[in-house]
Amino acid sequence: MTLRSRTAARWIVRTLSEICLTAGALIVLFVVYLLFWTGVRADSAMDGEIGKLHDRWSSGAAAAPDRTPPPGKSPTPAPPPRRYRSGDSFAVMYVPRFGADWAKPVLEGTATGTLQRGLGHYARTARLGGLGNFAVAGHRRTYGDPFKDFPELRPGDAVVLTDGTTWFTYRIDNRPYTTLPGDIGVIDPVPRKSGFNGPGRYLTLTTCEPEWGHSHRLIAWAHLDATQPVAQGRPSALTG
Amino acid sequence: MYGWIWRHLPGNTWVKALISVVLVLAVVFVLFQYVFPWAEPLLPFNDVTVDEGMAAL
Repeated sequence: MTLRSRTAARWIVRTLSEICLTAGALIVLFVVYLLFWTGVRADSAMDGEIGKLHDRWSSGAAAAPDRTPPPGKSPTPAPPPRRYRSGDSFAVMYVPRFGADWAKPVLEGTATGTLQRGLGHYARTARLGGLGNFAVAGHRRTYGDPFKDFPELRPGDAVVLTDGTTWFTYRIDNRPYTTLPGDIGVIDPVPRKSGFNGPGRYLTLTTCEPEWGHSHRLIAWAHLDATQPVAQGRPSALTG
Repeated sequence: MYGWIWRHLPGNTWVKALISVVLVLAVVFVLFQYVFPWAEPLLPFNDVTVDEGMAAL
């Protein structure tokens, strides 16, 4: 072997190993990003959304007297509820099964960027507490893992939401149901295969299945069990 | 590649080492700030909805 070809072989081997090392380091960094950094970012974003909501609700409560009809006039019908603005948070969800301190903001829409800051409300489904199906999607893994324990949901579990004026307590009716990504019937006003057989106030939660994949979706259905004004304190599902 | 970069950094060994650390940190920052957020939605972990490909996404 001449000196020249020895040098060339050495250069090739060295460059190859450098490329492999670089690729390995990139993959490790990406895993760190997925497992750790998206969670850090999402947790602070979700805390920020919940903080914004609480600020808005406390200032909204102060501004409320402006909206009451002047005395003497017959009470006007309640103004139509404010439309949810795409990408904005409008409610906080509590699921005791996921942990006593589990609280996540619910944002309007299911765009990628929205789901990185909280749970996403399917824009074309019912309003919170409204007649029809209030459907919400959330990450099972990455971005704070909000729905990590989704398979632990059992019939009777409470899903509690508040929009600042009312507490809504929904009760889960099924064990998580596995379906295909195109099965949009699960968020119908009366969801197919849910066992509900008439119009009502329902809630649907969706996330991905398997945990790290996207071949299927996991679905949980609930019905509205109770409501109470915020002034009456937290519902028994959260305190009990 | 890394040898080439090392040889072209100015200064003595300590200065070179310091610049290398800064370079590595800069690369990691760019990856976390720009490259990974772009690459991540191409992976399946975002697919949590049932009406994908429709108006929602």
